[in-house]
Amino acid sequence: MTIFLQILTAFLGSIGFSILFNVRGSKLFIAGLGGALSWGLYLALGPVLSSDSIKYFIASLFVTIYAEAFARIKKSPTTSFLVPGFIPLIPGGALYNTMKYALHNDWSLFADKASYTVQLALAIAAGIVAISSFMRMVNATIHYINLHKHKNT
Amino acid sequence: MKTEELLCTALDIGEQMLISGAEVSRVEDSLQRMISSYNIKRVDVFTITSSIVTTVTDNEDKTITQTRRINKYATDLNKLHDLNSLSRKICAQKPEADEIHKELESIVAKKPYSLAVQCFAFALIAGSFTIFFGGNFLDAAASALIGFILKISTYTLSKLNINMVLSNLVGSFILSFLAILFVFLHFGNNADMIIIGNIMLLIPGIGITNSIRDIVNGDLMAGILRFSEAIIVSLAIAGGYFLAALVLGGLVR
Repeated sequence: MTIFLQILTAFLGSIGFSILFNVRGSKLFIAGLGGALSWGLYLALGPVLSSDSIKYFIASLFVTIYAEAFARIKKSPTTSFLVPGFIPLIPGGALYNTMKYALHNDWSLFADKASYTVQLALAIAAGIVAISSFMRMVNATIHYINLHKHKNT
Repeated sequence: MKTEELLCTALDIGEQMLISGAEVSRVEDSLQRMISSYNIKRVDVFTITSSIVTTVTDNEDKTITQTRRINKYATDLNKLHDLNSLSRKICAQKPEADEIHKELESIVAKKPYSLAVQCFAFALIAGSFTIFFGGNFLDAAASALIGFILKISTYTLSKLNINMVLSNLVGSFILSFLAILFVFLHFGNNADMIIIGNIMLLIPGIGITNSIRDIVNGDLMAGILRFSEAIIVSLAIAGGYFLAALVLGGLVR
């Protein structure tokens, strides 16, 4: 039940953000689905992997591939699908707990939570970096091949 | 088309792209492509999040530079999509300045979702994430109401031309204050979950994502600028929360 509720709210939350960013039409659904799938993947990896950072990394890899794919299908900038897809992964809860421990002067727990928040953020970043760099290489290769085709004909 | 006219038109498009939330490399790349598709010898574009500088040398060896300063952003992915299509079209068909201006005007004139819809989107997001992070349905209802109020207050603040740091601080104060108050009045059980749901609305997610992408693309300057902006906003959010907790000190467990 919790799993179902989480995926549903991840979907609704991502759609909400897409509305704020003025995404229209069928792209709204694709963006929401990206958010739901990214969190679904994170949950599905639960029994297999114990490290949250690695789960976030894999989910982030997935969202970036998803966004790049739909950006090409819909001929729209990658950002349209990338940002909503990440919304459920944003470590809002961890960030809030960090703030709360600071408020309660609990500095050892604060340090724990702060480093956990930073770890999650880095894991997400690493996921985007990996796929974006790879896509740049692919694009450069396609460009190179097209250039040679023109020369030969 | 005259070189001045071309440069000015291209910069209009670039400026709008940056405002609507494009990464720096996209803006640089689009400007480069659009301008080079006309009769131009050399183009140099330098963009950071708050400014675009472009120098063009045409075939008569005349060199012109123009600069744009960007003060405000409003993420609008629909506008970005249209601008992107326009820039592709310019590269392919090389239309005249009048035609480009007409299209650009119609793109800029398109309105985002109305304030009422945005208020409901805020309520939807806040309510959803309250449940997402483990709150119950009563918490979600309180959270949605606070989200609605938060949008109205941030909208009012933006009309007063208050800077980004202060508006986030005030927003975070309002949402934390209301959440603690509502739970005290037994409208909602977990102030924590209500606050987390609403904080998701303020966290600069798009700023951080774009800053990482800028850095990967080699635009270190822009990436670092955007990243520090996101950190400062996060600190402002924490500040607002602390203030609310101090004011309502007795009610926080």
